[in-house]
Amino acid sequence: MSEEQENPQENRPIDLSKGQQPEPAPFQPLDQGPATPPPFQQPPPFQQPPPFGQFGGGGFGQQNLPNATAALVLGILAIPACCFYGIFGLIFGVIAWILGAGDMKKYQLNPGLYTESSYKNAKAGKICGMIATILSALFIVMVILVIVGAISNPQMFDDFIKGMK
Amino acid sequence: MAQPHKSFLEWLGEHLFSCPFKTHFGIDCPGCGLQRSILALFRGDLAASFKFYPATIPLIFIVLFTIVHLKFDFKFGAQLIKIVFAGVAVIILINYIYKIYTHQLI
Repeated sequence: MSEEQENPQENRPIDLSKGQQPEPAPFQPLDQGPATPPPFQQPPPFQQPPPFGQFGGGGFGQQNLPNATAALVLGILAIPACCFYGIFGLIFGVIAWILGAGDMKKYQLNPGLYTESSYKNAKAGKICGMIATILSALFIVMVILVIVGAISNPQMFDDFIKGMK
Repeated sequence: MAQPHKSFLEWLGEHLFSCPFKTHFGIDCPGCGLQRSILALFRGDLAASFKFYPATIPLIFIVLFTIVHLKFDFKFGAQLIKIVFAGVAVIILINYIYKIYTHQLI
């Protein structure tokens, strides 16, 4: 059981071969015995990967990961949203990161249930969220430094601004 | 029809959101220039758009591409989004550091 569950995570072509295995099954019962082969192939009930599902059709038994689209969209919106002191960028980025990571875990627990394209989307959303979070965090650190500098030493800050002009 | 459209763009140019960071501290934030750049893009001026904010064109591309990708589900889509997004982040960083070094922050 456990070995068969782990295989599809590592290389997905096995899904294809598993999808093709049921085809010889109808022929064997005709020749030899009626009901013996099917019980052996039924044990992995978690993997119901119809080979069509790999084309990302969605609706052939596999469903999209619930938060993949949200993670991707938030991750991409995080960069334009960083304008307000970087706070919105940070929020969007972290949310995209969490959603994407959660969906990736969900897919790895149960790879047959979800479409691979939505897994890729969740992964992209997670990475975009990470990048946006890092950018926003850098900006926020800079904002804090500037604020601290301006409060603690206003005169020097004014001179600094004049020096930049 | 052409004249009201032009005036609308001009009106938009006078009514941009002002950056809170810049109004309080007088220093550009890493996102400053994005709106001017998008306006320049609306006018069809690619060079000016790039000068205001170099990351605008890839940013708009990635937003449009994401919408199309979510609709039609390309096989290479997620990979391309990741790469372009990383590129956008790098462009923004380089642009900001360049601005600091060339004293364009104010």
